[in-house]
Amino acid sequence: MRGGDAGEYVVRFSYWQRFQHAMVILLFGVLLLTGMPQKWPYLEASRWVIEQLGGIVAVRWLHRAAGIAFSLLLLAHLAVAIGGVLSGRTRPSMLLSVRDFRDAVDFLRYCVGWAEAPPRFGRYDYRQKFEYWGLVFGGFVMALTGFILYFPITVSRLLPAELIPAAKVMHSYEALLAFLIILVWHLFAVLASPETFPMDTSIFTGKIRKDRLRHEHPLEYDELDERE
Amino acid sequence: MNGRYALAQVLFIGLLASVALAQKPPDKAPEKVPESVAACLACHDDKQLSMKLKDGSTMSLYVDSQDFVRSVHGSQLVCTDCHARYEQNHPSGATLPSRRAYAIASYETCKKCHFDTYTRTLESVHYELLKSGLDAAPVCTDCHGAHNIQNPHEKRAMVSRSCATCHDDVYRRYARSVHGKALAEGGNQDVPACANCHTHHQIQPPGTTQFRLGSPEICARCHGDRALMAKYGISATVAQTYLADFHGVTASLARGASAPAQQVVVTCIDCHGVHDITSPRLRGAEAMKASVAAVCAKCHAGASPDFPAAWLSHWEPSLRHAPLVYLVQVFYKIFIPFIVIGLVLQVLLHLYRVSLGR
Repeated sequence: MRGGDAGEYVVRFSYWQRFQHAMVILLFGVLLLTGMPQKWPYLEASRWVIEQLGGIVAVRWLHRAAGIAFSLLLLAHLAVAIGGVLSGRTRPSMLLSVRDFRDAVDFLRYCVGWAEAPPRFGRYDYRQKFEYWGLVFGGFVMALTGFILYFPITVSRLLPAELIPAAKVMHSYEALLAFLIILVWHLFAVLASPETFPMDTSIFTGKIRKDRLRHEHPLEYDELDERE
Repeated sequence: MNGRYALAQVLFIGLLASVALAQKPPDKAPEKVPESVAACLACHDDKQLSMKLKDGSTMSLYVDSQDFVRSVHGSQLVCTDCHARYEQNHPSGATLPSRRAYAIASYETCKKCHFDTYTRTLESVHYELLKSGLDAAPVCTDCHGAHNIQNPHEKRAMVSRSCATCHDDVYRRYARSVHGKALAEGGNQDVPACANCHTHHQIQPPGTTQFRLGSPEICARCHGDRALMAKYGISATVAQTYLADFHGVTASLARGASAPAQQVVVTCIDCHGVHDITSPRLRGAEAMKASVAAVCAKCHAGASPDFPAAWLSHWEPSLRHAPLVYLVQVFYKIFIPFIVIGLVLQVLLHLYRVSLGR
């Protein structure tokens, strides 16, 4: 291993990946801003937000528009990801394996002091993978329940109408779950975690410092090293 | 239906008569009148005393001294407190255009004491009508009486009947409703009379969108009161379940918004009725379902017959009512704390390890 890669960078994320992340920030933000006041409509703060955005009808349309955009982004993401893997241009590095669950256990063992060193992670560590699949799966739940609420009459013609209030409950709780995960998990990992403090900027710049790569994704670093 | 209605009317009139009798116990000795009142009564105690009006009618000038003395003002006011113009040169010999013109010209005397109440009437639909030239629009004395004014908080049914003077059809519908029957037949003081929903003085036209959107709040004043509803075995969550639903949020938020409401949404009155509200328990679940279905269809054209099931009929989700909704709820109530506590624990463990030093 070389020691002098402190100032060197490697490209980690493509433009498409960075664009998707920026869009998710934007759309997730709009959806939270317009969704949370609908979840707790009787709070003073919610009323203020709704009033500022032009009333409940405007807030609902904003929410639907952002929801449609988010759903399209989700579909585009999957199309590109699956297409990339099938054509052999990209590797399915986000796929979960047994190793990830073992890594999770090993990392916890390391945290409590039962292991000397943390597990060596690949391109994406188990936390990133779990979060990614949480986002994809949660995104599907949100989109599906969201469209049930968007078109309740059509849904009632095809399926039992009880699905509509059930979708409302699911949409509301799933959103809360997503928000809490982003808050305690994602924001900790990219802002406050000792490895990344004060901020991991690689998803914005597309680059990661080589020494960080070696530390956080040693298996990927090794591969890179072998190729060079 | 007609027979029952006639019966209700007979009962109602009988009740009126008994109330009227109860108000004037014949064995009660006449009460003393203050000296200054007695001075007026020297003339006005005469049942024949009257004056000719310009419209050709005759207005009686007789005052029943006992009516006045037993009124809420009897022990506090004297005649000239209200009839201030007559302190001097009385009688002046002037004539009045009509009995109604006299009432309209005189009612403002009430504002000398009841100023806040009077100003509220200025924002009412009745004052709008009066201003537009409709003489029949009610002034203070039309609802409260003149010499025989009683405490309106104690005589709620009486005030409601004064509404019936003009709003007879509405009053009759109300009198047949679950609320009206309880008030008129049972003297129930928990049920709303006209003024409880329409307010007392600042009465707004009830046909507006604003009034409609505000109606759930009116119903919720009683139907959200746990103790009151427990008395009648009615669920106190009916208002809450409506307000938590999509339409309830729309109604509530559209009402509070600064911009005028555009959307008409379903509120309590659409399924339960306005003045002719009957107990859903008496109507039965099937009739209520049909009512809800008809209401849904008004806006949601093309909905399937099953569509009203999307509304949980005020039930809180449970295994019995809306099990699917209930199970989704239970799942997340367990799953969210499980995930979030787990993630927080891992973050803390991670920080703990870092604090130990590598």
